[in-house]
Amino acid sequence: MMRSLFLFDMTFWLYLAALVLYIGYLFARRPTMALAPAGHPSDNFDERDGAWATQLGQVATLVTVFGWLVNTGALFTRAFERMEHSGTFAPWSNQFEAMAYVSWAIILGYVILELRYKIKAVGAFVVGIGFIAMGAASLLPYRYQTAEPLVPALNSYWIYIHVSVTLTSYAAFAMAGGLGLMYLFKERAERQGKTTGFYAAFPDLETIDELGYKAITIGFPLLAFGIILGAMWANYAWGGYWSWDPKETWSLIVWLIYGAYIHARMTRGWEGRKAAIYAVFGFLMVVFCFWGVNFLLSGLHAYA
Amino acid sequence: MNSQSDALPTEPAPPRPSTPGLGWDEFSRELVDFFASVKLAIFLFLFIAITATIGTVIQQGERAEVYIQEYGENAYRWFLRLGFTDVYHTWWFTSLLGLLCVNSLTCFYKRFPSVWRSMKQDKVGVTMAFVKNLKQQAEIPVENTKESVAQSLVQHFVSKGYRVLAKNEPGEVTVYATKGVMGRVGAHMAHLSATVIVLGGLLGSYYGFQEFGVCLEGQTYHIPRGNFDLKVDKFWIDYHENGSVKSYNSTLTVLEGGQAKATKTITVNDPLVYNGIWFYQSSYGDAWDQVEVARINIKDKETDKVLKTVDLEWQKEQTLPDLNLKLSITDFVADFAFNSTEKKVYSKTIEHANPAIKLVLTERDSVQATPWLFQQFPDLFEIKDSKYQFELVGYKPRKFTGLQIAKNPGINVVWTGCTMIVVGITLSSFIFHRRIWTKIVPTPTGVVVHIGGTTHKSQIDFNKEFRKLTEKIQTFKA
Repeated sequence: MMRSLFLFDMTFWLYLAALVLYIGYLFARRPTMALAPAGHPSDNFDERDGAWATQLGQVATLVTVFGWLVNTGALFTRAFERMEHSGTFAPWSNQFEAMAYVSWAIILGYVILELRYKIKAVGAFVVGIGFIAMGAASLLPYRYQTAEPLVPALNSYWIYIHVSVTLTSYAAFAMAGGLGLMYLFKERAERQGKTTGFYAAFPDLETIDELGYKAITIGFPLLAFGIILGAMWANYAWGGYWSWDPKETWSLIVWLIYGAYIHARMTRGWEGRKAAIYAVFGFLMVVFCFWGVNFLLSGLHAYA
Repeated sequence: MNSQSDALPTEPAPPRPSTPGLGWDEFSRELVDFFASVKLAIFLFLFIAITATIGTVIQQGERAEVYIQEYGENAYRWFLRLGFTDVYHTWWFTSLLGLLCVNSLTCFYKRFPSVWRSMKQDKVGVTMAFVKNLKQQAEIPVENTKESVAQSLVQHFVSKGYRVLAKNEPGEVTVYATKGVMGRVGAHMAHLSATVIVLGGLLGSYYGFQEFGVCLEGQTYHIPRGNFDLKVDKFWIDYHENGSVKSYNSTLTVLEGGQAKATKTITVNDPLVYNGIWFYQSSYGDAWDQVEVARINIKDKETDKVLKTVDLEWQKEQTLPDLNLKLSITDFVADFAFNSTEKKVYSKTIEHANPAIKLVLTERDSVQATPWLFQQFPDLFEIKDSKYQFELVGYKPRKFTGLQIAKNPGINVVWTGCTMIVVGITLSSFIFHRRIWTKIVPTPTGVVVHIGGTTHKSQIDFNKEFRKLTEKIQTFKA
């Protein structure tokens, strides 16, 4: 019935394929000690570590980019379907669409990271999160996946900016969470003295740590902006910019959590392992804010 | 935000005058240090986050019965004591927010002057030890003259967008380059924003108001706070093809001294604004004390046969000559209840749970009766003197429009604070304050460039930049 659903399905399978390829790439790429001492930038690996591993990595990137294009196409198709039905273009008007948009943003963020820093190992984690987000969306019952007309309160141009900005911040925090997880794996392996094999293909700890921090410094202002746009919308729609509705409060809680992280980073000792654990914790809070609040707590945002 | 993060090697501080005991100077310094500390900021961020969750788990502002039923009486007593039924307005929660403002203001007071100085002041006069102690540092021998290397270096910095200061002395040339101080200014702007937002909020809560009005079509209401009247011309609902509500709309007219001043059709997301008072389309529903039309069955008492079905309009008498009757509806209640002390009928709730209308009938120009007809209990009463039995079989309720009426004189202050926070944290997230010092010292074979740099954020990008810079310096050969 809806063409976009086919494309969303296809996105799901492509992200799964990309994830498998990235994991395969990590296994294939087993640099020896001599080739990859700890702390060595991973973009300078010797070519001898397996030409086919490199090819696998390239295929993984191609599949990811293709998946992202299909995801883009799916969102556009959905936007036009929405336009026909209810006169609003925004393809993030229910939980399903919001999830699909978040995975789109996560994958876009990852592709930019890979192009800029030439690190492929991150894909196994971050593409993984994008895949899980898309998968969780696909698991929603059919009635959540279709494009029902919007309720009057949502039918406004504010939906374009408030929702897209907030969801993009979630994607940035997802990236930070993935990098945090990656840091913890690598750090554990190093503590156990495993300098070869699977984990050696990861970038060095300092790089993962800094990238994770960077993702948070992107998500933090975005979330602030998203919350403020929401406050402006609420003021315009209901006559109050802040009403301590569960979603509002939870987004503020998430923002405070990352605010604490950014301040903690200023004092010594809040790098590395602690910061990585914190980033994973923060991401779980984002997941609760995004999913848990909609399904567990009642409030003005319970549109799912 | 940007505290000790620079990790600048400290130049020996002038010894503090050692007054014995706790003088006021020490005390106030300690106080400023405490309130400006990053630790306090982290504690407040997390503590506010944790306590804010309470209000999302426990329903806020409910009736006592609801809490007692769900949590028990004992727990409810504690809820009241701790303010858990209205967490966000308790003295302790607002104090936490106030403390956050104090924290950020003190931080501004303590740290902004140094940022200001670093924007204004010459930082060329540093020692060699200072350069060598910086986090990123290198020594690069170059076969060239001091002046030529300095020239190339300054050119390179300028091409990269740095602000450069240089000092040529007989022994050495010192070059100081800096970029991105706005990142630190941004952090301070974000700090000030907390107080601005809170002030805007206070202004709104002292001088503003927010009310909910249930209004009926055709009625005029006085708005005392605006000293004008509001007439609801029309209310209607638009539907999508699949039957779901597309929008609800009210046409409103503002009247001043009986004269129409403004008319607008409002809908959700499109309010009417008049004299700083905003009228929002907030909800709608079925009125509980009025109907538009009611349908009555008139039955013959003896045969129990329906003689006629009539639709009666609200408070409009209808004459039925064939039955020799006059009928009108004078009252309606959605959920019938009777106050026996005041002898008054009223609606128990706003739900249409037990609807009843009051019928006034005149039969054969003599019988006057005012029975209540219940939709759910048609045989409850019988009118003795009448040969008819009346039944309420249906009605069309009048819709009310729910209007939110609000005035908030603090709103623009709040938006100013919001702009400050977004601009502030965006600047501080994406712009890094970088400072690089170089000392070019002549040697028998040329010069040695001692270079050291620091950033207050984004070490990874700075490291890359620094590496490229050292590579660049190696090319400055004669």
